[in-house]
Amino acid sequence: MLSRTAEYLYWISRYMERAETTARLLDVGYRMSLFPNPSGYNNEWESVLSAAGVIEGYKNKYNTIEQKNVEDYLFFDESNPSSVYNCILNARSNALVVRTSFTPESWLAINKTYQEILNLKEQQFTKSDLPDLTEWTIEQVNLFRGSLSSLLRNDGYNFLFLGLFIERADNSARLLDVKYFVLLPKPQYVGGNIDNMQWSILLRSLSSFRAFRWAYDGNITATKIADFLVLNNNCPRSLSFCIQNIVKHLTNLICSPEKVGRIYNNLKDLNSKIQEEKIETIVEYGLHQFVTQFIRKISSVDKEIHKEFFN
Amino acid sequence: MFNEMYQSESVIRNHYNNINDWLDQMTSKVILEKNAEAETHFRNIGITFSTNNETARERIIPFDLIPRIFTYTEWLRLERGVIQRAKALNAFLADIYNQGEIIKANIIPKEIIYKKKSFEPSMFGFSPPRDIYSPIIGIDLVRTGPNDYFVLEDNCRTPSGVSYMLENREIMMRMFPELFHNNRVTPIDDYPTRLLQTLMSLAPIKCENPEPVCVLLTPGPLNSAYYEHSFLSDQMGIEMVESTDLFVEGKYLYMKTVDGPKRVDVVYRRIDDDFLDPLCFNPQSVIGIPGIMDVYRTGGVNICSAPGAGIADDKAIYIYVPEMIKFYLGEQPILDNVETWNCEKEQELKYVLDNINELVVKEVDGSGGYGMLIGPKSSKSSIDEFKTKLSTNPKGYIAQPLLDLSFSPTLIKNQVEGRRVDLRPFCLIGEQAQLSSGGLTRVAMNEGSFVVNSSQGGGVKDTWVLAE
Repeated sequence: MLSRTAEYLYWISRYMERAETTARLLDVGYRMSLFPNPSGYNNEWESVLSAAGVIEGYKNKYNTIEQKNVEDYLFFDESNPSSVYNCILNARSNALVVRTSFTPESWLAINKTYQEILNLKEQQFTKSDLPDLTEWTIEQVNLFRGSLSSLLRNDGYNFLFLGLFIERADNSARLLDVKYFVLLPKPQYVGGNIDNMQWSILLRSLSSFRAFRWAYDGNITATKIADFLVLNNNCPRSLSFCIQNIVKHLTNLICSPEKVGRIYNNLKDLNSKIQEEKIETIVEYGLHQFVTQFIRKISSVDKEIHKEFFN
Repeated sequence: MFNEMYQSESVIRNHYNNINDWLDQMTSKVILEKNAEAETHFRNIGITFSTNNETARERIIPFDLIPRIFTYTEWLRLERGVIQRAKALNAFLADIYNQGEIIKANIIPKEIIYKKKSFEPSMFGFSPPRDIYSPIIGIDLVRTGPNDYFVLEDNCRTPSGVSYMLENREIMMRMFPELFHNNRVTPIDDYPTRLLQTLMSLAPIKCENPEPVCVLLTPGPLNSAYYEHSFLSDQMGIEMVESTDLFVEGKYLYMKTVDGPKRVDVVYRRIDDDFLDPLCFNPQSVIGIPGIMDVYRTGGVNICSAPGAGIADDKAIYIYVPEMIKFYLGEQPILDNVETWNCEKEQELKYVLDNINELVVKEVDGSGGYGMLIGPKSSKSSIDEFKTKLSTNPKGYIAQPLLDLSFSPTLIKNQVEGRRVDLRPFCLIGEQAQLSSGGLTRVAMNEGSFVVNSSQGGGVKDTWVLAE
């Protein structure tokens, strides 16, 4: 496989994953804006922008944080590299180059999405359309992921999934980084309305709200949520699940065992730590520090993948 | 005036009877639906193109639902004629880059060969595998009568359009399967396999691999034929590379892969000569693979088509193709050339200027239907404009009579109307010479128009060759 092909495949699934994350964040923001909140909903939109990692870009463009602008910025804005629109455009222009390396269905899934978002952008969208837009995005991404199931299980497949899980690990960790404080033990407020709401934001934005209820019995507690999102291997967006899958798709690569070995060496400490650690220990040590370290590690693995395989 | 479907106003040609019945039972509603379906399909698969005046959205070529049909006998003659021509063109290239017999025999003057920009001096004395310079040749043909075909031009470099030929058939089979039950249409979907076999049969001398590694070299996604590049490499199962994916080390060419360098034996290039090797052709070029020409000349890789193959489809050389056929093959040409006046010659220029109202004037280096004058259809001011151009730069132009291109039934706003068509079949020459069982039919969608180019409002049709 051409190095460039591997790189483009890797980025296609990063972009598609990012499109979904951005859409989910928008959905959470929209939901929160419908709830009465004494402190006003603006703070939520701000944390949505931070979690999407685009708060600076937004503030360069707009002076105030307003729902309409945030929606537009996150969904359609061409100057926002993580907007759903840009993610889809980028995924599509990469797919155009490597369409021969995956199935016609995968290409169709991406190209149809692209055709539709061009139409959506041409139409004026109104506030009530937002749930439709986010739902549409998630549907399109699922269509793309589904199309991958008929792919040959070769290196191309593994690069696609490496991209997906690197992106997801980064997205999940950044969301935790923005919201880690709601998971810190605060005895006086446990079970209070505000916490419930914050927890629900966190879980919904990781599409894990209902899954959490199935996974854990009894009361919702900060510790259980932290455990779910960081260490639970059944949760497809937990940090642990992402790391496991990065390791899996990395070691499944057939090309160049030395390169795989070098990257694996860098990852294995984090992997074994996350598999063995107890959530209490992590919280005690500092959830924030843990997440920050995690983000740094993922970014260094991403750099190594680029250096070893794509150059 | 020749109509492909109607023998006379009331008589349908036999091989169009089924299509006529089919058209009769199609309602406007179905036509609308099927047109929309075809358009959506072409957009979805991404078979789009860009024109010189670029707009934001990619365009698709209008697709006409009514196929253009050849009988087996009609096709047999075309097949022999095109293969004959393709062989002669390759023989010509082998000759002028080596002994130059055709020049010594005073058939073609040497100035018009060796002074041309498309002539490549670095090819002198080198013979590519099997002496094939141009393994894929697209010949543009028009028809003016039952047995009258004329070659408008030869395309020996990197002819495009074959993906339309294949996709037009795919969409027709998908939308109208019943048509293919009732008509015995020769399949064309083995074209990519044949193309790959052709490329593999042209492995360079130093290749030891029984299954030579072929790649398709594309200029990248901005090229208007990019869809075709990815389509063909996909169908052949070979890598589509850009020049940055390739590099020369020692005496071989390699591509950069995730497992390290991998040797490449045959490059099916879809980029121009100028951008192949900055060391050899265009030092200003930022694209290209430094050193690839050295590897080529020492038998480490084959480049298809060969650098310098473009001289064979030069509009000034075109005039001599019938002579080439006689000279190299000892045969009479099966397909005719269009009478052509070379404005470079004083007498011919005079004739052209005197008769410009009846002639088509073309730029020697023009393509895509740009920069041409159709005398009988032009205003006095554009004729005057061309007269000035001709007088100041006669070398840049040729002239031909306006041919009465055949009409093919075409759906225009749900009505069947006659529109003019041409044909580009694709000839492959490697271990054997063969012609695609069909080709790309282009249709001038505007009433009365003679210009079939997609950039000028042309459309395409599925092209059928009926089985024996």
